[in-house]
Amino acid sequence: MAILKDIAAIAKGMSITFGEMFKPTQVENYPDGPGPFKGAKFQERFRGAHVLQRDENGLEKCVACFLCAAACPSNCIYIEAAENTEEHRVSGAERYAKVYDIDYNRCIFCGYCVEACPTDAITHGHGFELASFNASNLVYRKEQMLAPQPAHLGANSIFNQAEVEGGTPSLPAQGA
Amino acid sequence: MADVNITVDGKAVKTPAGTLLIEACKSVGIEVPSFCYYPNLSLQGACRMCLVKVEKMPKLQTACTTVVAEGMIVTTDSDEIRQARKGMVELLLGNHPLDCPVCDAGGECELQDMTFSYGAAESKYIEPKNHREEQQWSPVVFFDRPRCILCYRCVRVCNEGMDVAALGVQNRGVSSIIAPNNEDHLECEECGMCIDICPVGALTSGSYRYKTRPWEMNHVGTVCTHCGDGCKTTLGVRRADTGMEIVRGDNRDKSGINNDFLCIKGRYAFDFANHQDRLTQPLIRKNGQLTPATWEEAFELIGKKFSAIREKDGGQAIGVIGSNHTTNEENYLLQKFARVVLGSNNIDHHRTADFPAFAAALRGRANATASMRDVYNAPAVLLIGNDPTEKHPLLAWQIRSNVRLHRSRLYVVNSQPIKLRRQAAGFQLIPAGAEGAFAAFLAGEDAALASLGGSKDGWTALRDKLKTEENLVIVFGSELREGDITALVKFGSAVPGAKFLALADYANSRGAADMGLYPDLLPGYLPVAEAGKFHQEWGGIPSAPGLSLPEMAESAKAGKLKALYVVGANPIARFGIDPFVFSKSFVVVQDMFLTETAVIADVVLPAANAYEKSGSVTNTSGDLQLVKKAGEVTGTKGDFEMIVRIADAMGFDVRQLVPFGRGTRADMGQTRGAQSGEADRHAVWLEANGLELKMSPFDPMAILDEIQRLVPGYNISRLALLSGNDQQTNFAASGPAVAQKPELIVPAADGLFRSGTLGRYSHTLHSVMENKDRQPSEEVAAD
Repeated sequence: MAILKDIAAIAKGMSITFGEMFKPTQVENYPDGPGPFKGAKFQERFRGAHVLQRDENGLEKCVACFLCAAACPSNCIYIEAAENTEEHRVSGAERYAKVYDIDYNRCIFCGYCVEACPTDAITHGHGFELASFNASNLVYRKEQMLAPQPAHLGANSIFNQAEVEGGTPSLPAQGA
Repeated sequence: MADVNITVDGKAVKTPAGTLLIEACKSVGIEVPSFCYYPNLSLQGACRMCLVKVEKMPKLQTACTTVVAEGMIVTTDSDEIRQARKGMVELLLGNHPLDCPVCDAGGECELQDMTFSYGAAESKYIEPKNHREEQQWSPVVFFDRPRCILCYRCVRVCNEGMDVAALGVQNRGVSSIIAPNNEDHLECEECGMCIDICPVGALTSGSYRYKTRPWEMNHVGTVCTHCGDGCKTTLGVRRADTGMEIVRGDNRDKSGINNDFLCIKGRYAFDFANHQDRLTQPLIRKNGQLTPATWEEAFELIGKKFSAIREKDGGQAIGVIGSNHTTNEENYLLQKFARVVLGSNNIDHHRTADFPAFAAALRGRANATASMRDVYNAPAVLLIGNDPTEKHPLLAWQIRSNVRLHRSRLYVVNSQPIKLRRQAAGFQLIPAGAEGAFAAFLAGEDAALASLGGSKDGWTALRDKLKTEENLVIVFGSELREGDITALVKFGSAVPGAKFLALADYANSRGAADMGLYPDLLPGYLPVAEAGKFHQEWGGIPSAPGLSLPEMAESAKAGKLKALYVVGANPIARFGIDPFVFSKSFVVVQDMFLTETAVIADVVLPAANAYEKSGSVTNTSGDLQLVKKAGEVTGTKGDFEMIVRIADAMGFDVRQLVPFGRGTRADMGQTRGAQSGEADRHAVWLEANGLELKMSPFDPMAILDEIQRLVPGYNISRLALLSGNDQQTNFAASGPAVAQKPELIVPAADGLFRSGTLGRYSHTLHSVMENKDRQPSEEVAAD
């Protein structure tokens, strides 16, 4: 009888094994998957590298109010503000961030800056591949964090990629 | 007046009759909110925020216009009151834009605070807000009309406080708007008081515009480095690529002798510090050209040259010129350096008042010098010469406030119809240069009347009137020198409680004089020729008087002056000296910019200004105040450090120059992190008791110890000084001084919009149109 009991136990165990063989895979295909995240998947709420958003006209939403820097518990946000002019308009309000740096050496991804932002300019994206061999590379400049120009203004992610690599600030779009 | 007993929120309050209810509440720590009420300005009753319940009165009363009465029972907080205040905030927010993230007042806005307190953040209006474009009224004043809550504080401070009346109200009732009286722009003294006093962001500063936010700055309370009044200014500083950048100046905490007053120079003209022409590395003349060099190279060269000249030609072949802007410690150190290290009494500075004669006249008299505070409180003020509105804005403010609030009597005797005559109880116009004759007439010399003009009876009546004024403060400009001052003091000694105030032009003119930047006077106006404590302390300093500034130029022309050491001064431009007279001398200049004097130098050392170092300064009325390091420009050094380094490079034992290395060793504990506050308090206590570590030869506090010990009149409370308070020095124990040549006094002639070299490099002072209107086009050069 004991042997029957053993066989039943093995059959039960193997049924799980064989059952799993026909189920879809649960392992993420990172880093060999498709898309910008190379197969990594995130919950919506995941707090990754920051993205500075633009409004529907392609202008930066950030008005350099410094509230994110004030809310930041690790003091990793550095901003220099400047005034928009008729000829050089960067944000929708009177003021824009001339310099906006986040030091990812210090950032703890707590999300307080996102909560503090009155214009929904700073958000957490899903970027997570921040590792670097050089700590100074971890100070991200505004140009590295800015969202791409909206598609209806003629921009796309590939275009924005070139902008980022070129290291030049993207030109503000005129009008809608 | 008799005291009145009232009850506020159950607390018994005893307060003088005539007190406003809002002030009575404040005196027991109950804050009644208000927008339009501002202490020392006339009452408006416009904002209705200060509503309180007074028993037996049918409606809520405005605490800012209600005067206390015996037995009043007041409630300052109840549901009814909160409801009323909330309603007021809601109405104010009706058209107030909610652009706080962009507004420069965000974070220090009274309307923001009130909205937080009373929770009227949601708007019940559905109508669109009435938007108006922002207006620029002057280079330093911007006006955003929708943000204005019509408290009229700006209009009142401009009319009553400043007596300028550049701002007014257009229209009436709900369509009232604040507007410049001069169409679309301000024509005024550009003091910026309206900006500071604005409870919201309606009036904002042009220079601070959108640069940063209040909580992003460090705020350092220091002393303005422009005129001789010594206003306290709180500088907001921010980290920048080149060190610490000064972003704004104000004095909203109302500390210091100036309360919240600042003129255009104190509020905006700190921008010379960040001027692009600022020197940031030492320059050495090589092949006729000033070329950048290292600090080591520069000090080595100076040390070698100075030593060689001292050995070969003696100390009298070296001249030293000090500054009116450097701290007391630096001035003291500089003259000690000249006398002890160089062995030379050839030390002078640009004099703007005859302080030696003043000190000699007041010698042995206690309580004879008036402080800036006395000018505000005195029942009567006599002003002889000078134009304080232009040259001493704080003094003018103190006089105006005193006349307005205390009904004080102002007597003005001037050769020009100066603006302060509008406040004067008596104004006498005299011929130019007759100020001395007036002093002589006051002292009883009736013959002097001949040069005064006018009727004898009028003058005698004025003199008799002045003699009856108790606690008279006598303020006089640099027109009075030598015997004039003695005569004036003689007159004053017949007036009970009379005090004197001599006006000099620069931030530390008085300090430079007190610290002995004279060829024949040691600190405290002790003559060099007399053996005294300085001879004993320092040992073997020369007792023959040295050369004055023009004499140094003569000596250099004759080939006798081999070296000249100029610290923060511009004698070439100021005294119109031919620059070629120094072509054979070795000239060292410490300055911020390549001035007319710096361009002829053999070595130029880039200096820090008064906003970038610590120490103390004495204003023209003798009020000693602490300056604190606020800004920083990489590549510059303080004058103190440079003097010590030169002495060191000359092979001198700097321990004999700066008494450092003394004090009790103490465990300072953790200086950063959670415990830092404790260590800071400990440090303050040690410093106040003179026990702090002076481990560095560059510590000005070590020299302050010596100043307090040796310079008569400077033995003030260290604790009060370190707490940021002004401490008055006096001449009671001063030396007998030596008569100075009156022609050596050269007034600065800076108006409200000029400030010598500092003004030359200030963009803001140049940007205001009043600068161009009122002043000669040629820039006045100075130190």
